[in-house]
Amino acid sequence: MSRALQKYLDQVILYANRKEKESVKIRAELEDHLRQKTADLAARGVPREDAVFGAIEDHGTARTVGYGLRKGFALLDVRTEGTARGFVAIGPRAVGIIAFGNVAVGLFAFGNIALGALAFGALAIAGLLSLGGISLAPLGAAVGLAAVGQGAFGMIACGGLAVGLQVPWAIDGVSLLSGENGLQFLQHFQTHEGTVALVAITAWLFLMFPIMNGVMCSIKRNEYLRIKKADPKLVE
Amino acid sequence: MTRLSKQTLDGNVETLILAVLESGPSYGYAIVKELNERAEGILQLGEGTIYPVLYRLEEKKLIAARWRLAENGRQRKYYRLISKGHKALATNRRQWQMLSAAMGKVLGSAENLLPQPQVKGATI
Repeated sequence: MSRALQKYLDQVILYANRKEKESVKIRAELEDHLRQKTADLAARGVPREDAVFGAIEDHGTARTVGYGLRKGFALLDVRTEGTARGFVAIGPRAVGIIAFGNVAVGLFAFGNIALGALAFGALAIAGLLSLGGISLAPLGAAVGLAAVGQGAFGMIACGGLAVGLQVPWAIDGVSLLSGENGLQFLQHFQTHEGTVALVAITAWLFLMFPIMNGVMCSIKRNEYLRIKKADPKLVE
Repeated sequence: MTRLSKQTLDGNVETLILAVLESGPSYGYAIVKELNERAEGILQLGEGTIYPVLYRLEEKKLIAARWRLAENGRQRKYYRLISKGHKALATNRRQWQMLSAAMGKVLGSAENLLPQPQVKGATI
C-alpha cells in the first residue's frame, strides 16, 4: 500500500483514539475503501500517484474523519479542535458532565464561557453555583467580580443575599444585605470559628478553579503530546 | 453546481444510507457511490464521513454488519438493513414526504428550487 495512504490511515486512527481491537477493524475497512477508490480513479486514467491523493482528498481530512469515529459519548474525550463530548470533555468547545474548554457546557463547566449547574470561568452562568469574573446564578450562589444570584458575593453583587464592596444598583426590594448591610452581615463572622469558616468556604471556591484548571490543562497537554509524538506536523 | 450544506444534510444522512441498504447488503465504498449516483452529484458526501454514521446505525441496531471475503481476496465489511431499520426508514420516509410537501407549498414548486449555477456550497 502507498505510504501516503498508510500515513493518512495512521492519522485517522490516531484521532479516532479507539481501542486496539476496534482500530484494527476500522483501519481495515477504511483501507479497503481507499484502495477501491484509488483503483477506480486509476481505471479512469488518473495517474496512480494522483489517484492516491484524490482518494484521500475525497475521503476527508484525517482529523474530521478520525474525530467522527470517536465514541459518541466517551468517558474522556479530549480534542485539539472542534467540540469534545464525553463524561469528561476537554476541547476548544466541550460538552459533558465535567466540561473544560473555551466554551464549556456541563454539570461542572470550566471555561472562558462556562454554562452549567456549577460553572467556573470568565463568564460563568450556573444554576447552583457560579464563580468567575462575571458570575450569574439566577437560582443559586454567585461569586465573582460582578455577581448576580440568589446569593451573590463580589465587588459588585446583586441578589437576594448580596454581599459586596460596592453595590450601587443592588439595593432594591430583594437585596437585603447589600452595601452597609453586607458589612453588617460580615460582622456575624467576627468570632474565630466564624472567620475560619468564612475563609475556608471562600478559599475552597477560589482554589477549586485553578486546581481543576491545572488538571484539565495537564490532560489536554498529554493529548497534544500524544499527537505530536505520532506526527509532529499535526500540531504545528 | 450547488451542493447541500452540512446543516441541511445533518440528520438525513442516516435515512439516505438506510434507503440505499433497502435494496440489499452493501459496503462503505459502494454505499457512497450509490448515494452519489442516486443524488446525481448534489450531495457530494465526504466519503469518510459515512463511517461514523454507519457505526451509529449499527449501534442503534438499525443495520447489522458482517465481514466477508470480497472478490479481491480481502475481508470486507457488509452492512444490511434489519427489521428495526426497515421501520425507521418507513417512518423517516413518511416524515420527509410530509416535510417536503409542506416546504413545496410554502416555498414554491421544485422547479423554483433548482440550484443556481456558480454558487458554491459546503459538503460534509
